[in-house]
Amino acid sequence: MKILALFAIAVLFLIVSCSREPQPIQYGKDACAHCRMTIMDKRFAAEIVTPKGKVFKFDAAECMAAYLKTEPQIAADQNTIFLVCTYNKPGVLVNAQNCYFLSDGIFKSPMGGNLAAFISKERATTAIDSKTAKLYNWPEMLKTR
Amino acid sequence: MRWIFFKLYIFLLLPVSVLAKTIIVAPKTTISSLKAAIKIANSGDTIIVKKGIYVSENTLINKELTILGENAPVLDARFHEEVVTITASHVKFDGFIIQNSKTGSMRDYAGIRLNNVAYVIISNNILRNNFFGIYLSDSKHIQVLHNHLTGSNNQENSGNGIHLWKCKYIFIKGNYVTRHRDGIYFEFAKKSLIEDNFSEKNIRYGMHFMFSDDDIYRHNTFKNNGSGVSVMYTRRIKMLNNLFIENWGSSIYGLLLKEISDSQIEGNRFIRNTTGVYMEGSDRINITNNNFQSNGWGIRVLASCDKNTFTQNNFKGNSFDVTTNGTLKHNYFNNNYWDKYEGYDLNKDGIGDIPYRPISLYAQIIEKIPQSVMLMRSFIVNLLDKVERAIPSVTPESVKDEKPRMKPWKR
Repeated sequence: MKILALFAIAVLFLIVSCSREPQPIQYGKDACAHCRMTIMDKRFAAEIVTPKGKVFKFDAAECMAAYLKTEPQIAADQNTIFLVCTYNKPGVLVNAQNCYFLSDGIFKSPMGGNLAAFISKERATTAIDSKTAKLYNWPEMLKTR
Repeated sequence: MRWIFFKLYIFLLLPVSVLAKTIIVAPKTTISSLKAAIKIANSGDTIIVKKGIYVSENTLINKELTILGENAPVLDARFHEEVVTITASHVKFDGFIIQNSKTGSMRDYAGIRLNNVAYVIISNNILRNNFFGIYLSDSKHIQVLHNHLTGSNNQENSGNGIHLWKCKYIFIKGNYVTRHRDGIYFEFAKKSLIEDNFSEKNIRYGMHFMFSDDDIYRHNTFKNNGSGVSVMYTRRIKMLNNLFIENWGSSIYGLLLKEISDSQIEGNRFIRNTTGVYMEGSDRINITNNNFQSNGWGIRVLASCDKNTFTQNNFKGNSFDVTTNGTLKHNYFNNNYWDKYEGYDLNKDGIGDIPYRPISLYAQIIEKIPQSVMLMRSFIVNLLDKVERAIPSVTPESVKDEKPRMKPWKR
């Protein structure tokens, strides 16, 4: 019985250590993988988990896009997890592929992209502030970099 | 005829009575708030605010006024709004204590906000507990002098001390900034001068440039900030005679350069930083007459850097003088003083007779295997470095100082 329990714990450890889990961003401590800036702003942060489980954190969606441009394999891989914080719920990472991105002057995102993420097209359109605002879905947003 | 003279006489008297109006604001008088005083004032008037505590929830200064605080009156927004917004040019705002602006994630609330103005002077104010301190946007010819800013030190939600957005010709002198996100922040701010400021214990950077060309900063001190000073995506910056001290920690740099070009780094002192200067994607930068002292890494130059020159610097007591992550080409080292130089000077001209290679073999090993840092200062590492110095084989051939100084440069 004891051996079985130990075995179960060992298996549990294996499962935990093998899983590809997003990591929470340590605001004020973690540095952006692309621009090296310390990540501070919860409204714009983003994260990538590669198929091997490696985590890259970014201070803005535009940095994630710029990084993916330099790493096309990660960008093209089906198993990569792309996460982004949305403007309406700062600090909560959601799947970036379902998000809509609004480029508008009122969003002072860290890298000057003026880019904010929203969980739905409706939410994004209600946030439009100026006539020059542009709305992108995920693949379109990647192409802007 | 006489009538005309009379008119002229009246006209000559007019300026005295009209322009020199001074409005006094004091508690428990008819004019007991700055807002009330601005309402009755005309452009060109002076408002003097006496000592006291005044509630100021987004007081709008929309006239050309000189507003002076006497014995440091307090303007308090009680965390409801911004404290003061200036939308008129030619304003002087001097001698106040500005405190408790609202903190928010949707808007950047500030202690003092300037929007689309010119020729404004903000001087001798004390700002406490504001989200953003002094926020300048779309402005020109502004002077920010001798202010003392203390932020909320909130790790996750704090604003910048002095924040510039799309500005030109700004003069920032003698300010003290602490406990903000970035002490001084420049985004699209051009042709500005920053001097004699002291920025310490800010959460992210002591000072931060983004897309801001043609600026000069000199004689500033950046101490113990989250990450020193960062200059990014910027051209033609002059960094002169600054002190970068005690910026310690993983991924923390005294000076972080990312994608900058045609700049000058001269006469600065880098003391006790994890990395003195970190350069990535930076071209045509002159690094002369600096002191690198007691840093973990003196200079870290990534292979993406091109055509930089390092001359007449002193390198003393750094664990590593120079490191890189690949082959470093077209970066020139000349006439520096290196305390690790073990060559000789037979002709006594003050210049070592054999070149010095600042990148040690061990630094190259750490680059490949970071864990090997635990072998630092061990016998085997010293031996390896000695052998490599005698018969160079692994360290980049191009990185060498042909004329190393025997004695440090005197400053």
